[in-house]
Amino acid sequence: MTDYPIDEIFRRAKLGELAVYPPKDEFGYNVFGADVYTKPRRFLLLDDIVLLPPQFTPERLEKGIELLREPLYTDVSTEASVGRFRVRMPVVCAAMGGTHIANLIGPKIAKGCAEMGIVYSLGENIAAIRGYDERLTKQPSFKERALAYLENLKDGYGGLVIQQSVEDENLKLWEKVYTDPDFDRYVEEGLIAFEIKAGQGAKPGLGGEVLVSREVAMRIKDHYYIPEDPEKVVKDYYERHSAPGTFTEDILTSQIRLIKNNFPRVKVFLKTGPYRDLDRVIEIASREGVDAVTIDGKEGGTGMSPIAGMRDLGLPTVACLGAITRARDRGIRTSLIISGRLYDGSHVVKSLALGASAVAFGRPLVYACMGSIPLAPAFIRRELFRNPLLRELGKIALRWGVRGEGCTEGVVNYLKSVENEIKMLTSALGKYYMDRLSKEDVGALNRDLAELFRIWYVYSAPEASEKVIQRGIELS
Amino acid sequence: MSMSQKLELPLEPQAFAEDIFRIVSHPVMQEVYRFRHLIAKTVRDFLDEEGFVEFDPIMVGPVTDPGTRGAFEFRIPYYGREYRLMRSGILYKQLLAAAMEEGKIYFFYPNLRHEPIDAAKTGRHLVEFVQIDLEVRDADHFQVMEIAERLLKHVIDEMRRYEDRLRKIWEFFGSERESLPDVNLPLKRMTHRKAVELLMEHAKDDEVIKELERRFGVRRPQDRLSFKTEIPWEWEWYLSKIHDQPFFIHDYPRGARGFYDREYPDKPGVLMDFDLLAPEGHGELSSGAAREYEVSRVFARMRETNENPELYRWYLQFLRDHGKPTAGFGIGMERLVKYICDLPSVHLARPAPKIPGVHSP
Repeated sequence: MTDYPIDEIFRRAKLGELAVYPPKDEFGYNVFGADVYTKPRRFLLLDDIVLLPPQFTPERLEKGIELLREPLYTDVSTEASVGRFRVRMPVVCAAMGGTHIANLIGPKIAKGCAEMGIVYSLGENIAAIRGYDERLTKQPSFKERALAYLENLKDGYGGLVIQQSVEDENLKLWEKVYTDPDFDRYVEEGLIAFEIKAGQGAKPGLGGEVLVSREVAMRIKDHYYIPEDPEKVVKDYYERHSAPGTFTEDILTSQIRLIKNNFPRVKVFLKTGPYRDLDRVIEIASREGVDAVTIDGKEGGTGMSPIAGMRDLGLPTVACLGAITRARDRGIRTSLIISGRLYDGSHVVKSLALGASAVAFGRPLVYACMGSIPLAPAFIRRELFRNPLLRELGKIALRWGVRGEGCTEGVVNYLKSVENEIKMLTSALGKYYMDRLSKEDVGALNRDLAELFRIWYVYSAPEASEKVIQRGIELS
Repeated sequence: MSMSQKLELPLEPQAFAEDIFRIVSHPVMQEVYRFRHLIAKTVRDFLDEEGFVEFDPIMVGPVTDPGTRGAFEFRIPYYGREYRLMRSGILYKQLLAAAMEEGKIYFFYPNLRHEPIDAAKTGRHLVEFVQIDLEVRDADHFQVMEIAERLLKHVIDEMRRYEDRLRKIWEFFGSERESLPDVNLPLKRMTHRKAVELLMEHAKDDEVIKELERRFGVRRPQDRLSFKTEIPWEWEWYLSKIHDQPFFIHDYPRGARGFYDREYPDKPGVLMDFDLLAPEGHGELSSGAAREYEVSRVFARMRETNENPELYRWYLQFLRDHGKPTAGFGIGMERLVKYICDLPSVHLARPAPKIPGVHSP
């Protein structure tokens, strides 16, 4: 009886349909993702894999000959190509949409990403909710966020990825961008990608869910499914749902071809989620010449998702990474980006060793940004946003705090720490370039993962795993 | 003022903003406009003779067709909603061909498309233009291709009667053309696949590549050829350049066109559609197709362009309850004038041309 979730049932009895979401006062101020650490631990993580530096490092010798001195970790080049964008390090800012926090701090994160030469993605619904160029709310518009990034790019690094959802299609967002003189220069320079959104880690198979204010609800009610008519029912926040969009193999194929056909000067990205037919999605994307596929594992962050979704829908991130490894084994060379509760240099190095081209960070950048705003960390850590009164106070403090440069600095500092970590770990592996990382650099602490990735299970004799590894290398 | 005052007449799109009267009153430009009138009259006579009924264009509606090649739509406030200016009349064409007893209808349809800036470089794209837009019930693409070629031949034959006057226009614009072609029907037909194969063969020639790179400012045009997408502008120009008679390309791959171009029921991935191209580098004059008319197929195809079916409610309801097989095409009026008059750029076929990105009168 003691472990029976009585409180949970009480909560549902009180809230009805709304009970499927986390407590609503948090919405938009805290950022969610699957809680993988509650007991019993249900998912294997990248933490169940270790990096395996060797004693003998022929590539370090090569590097020494090139430099005419002993190489240091600072000699590692983190430069990479992701979806044909040149980037300073194999990290992508995951797409964040028009939800309150993501959008408020969006331009600040954008600036930090530009400064650090990583790819920046704009999620769906920003233009629909916040406006394309004119601000429709007190928050930054789509274009403000886009240009905050593009205008701060330097040294030819980076690229902007723009998503369009079914509802954004009403706005014809891509066509608007493609014919906008302010974007033309960047389109011409090859700095823009359009991303088909076909999934999200925390809610594969579900569309976007957001709570919006009454003002916003009134404006967008013709374009979205809002269960309660804001004209008739008066309340603070309204649920707004967007359709997940229907895909078949044919539909995905045609969508890719249509972007290539209609917008020949942009790159094509596909964002997919932790689906059971992920292998097939990657195969089709690669066959159709998509520039990059982002795969969001189930631990991926989100502004708002049903609790049951975060808990039980989809493949854990490492299983998605398994699909990437299999794709490489089948000879697929398309850029494949992994995300879902990944947040440091070690995660990046391991992911690359297992076949990923880059890692997408969402929550880490949001927290890095907010963590540098006065008072914000206390609000996040102590969950003060739950309290309605404190939430109002927190909102004011946030908006005031975002005006400073702390937020951007936080993002830059955070990315620098990741960059430094990537360099150190790669150098420890005796390697100096991102594309040299491979399966030999990682080992599993768990037999299932060893088998999934065909890597060494470190508690077995090397010879025993040798065959497994060899098979993997031959295939790749 | 005489027809030979060529050098003193700046004709680039920006020049219209500076002194539009000087351009539109120039004797050669007046002749071009007279030919537009003659061509329009010839087309009308032909279609009327064939039993078509002409309609006035419907300019605004809750939805317009999904554009192609990245063109945005113009929007206007409409009693608390947002309506669209038509990018083409395709949805209404289908409706009226299905509704009219004659089963044959046409429009002279003004279209507005907010084209991407790079379309300004092609010499073939206008933001505002007119299509001779027709639709026939119970026909497929091959049947309307026959109408298209007879119509084109008729226009060319009629215009040949004025060759002396045309020659002065050709001369003024530096054309080397001496006469209009004696069009032999049926016109050459090649599938999209064959056309791309042919171009891939020609792409092995370095001289060809260099010319395309220089003329269109593209890098590695050979990499832009694909069996899965539209033929890129520069290659369409090239294909047109190596022909001296108009010709058809048909059977485009799905993904190259909107949801309304019908897919062969027995050839998945291939569309029952066509382009009619003029020779001498003038390129596409007309696009046409058999239409998807079964609501289940249209609904699935709409997802391919990420269209929101909600907006198309009237159209989907019409197809569900009254959908009939139709086929049709649209001929770009200005492109036809450009071809007949051998103009260097399509904007010269309109008195107040709108070129992407240029703020002209």
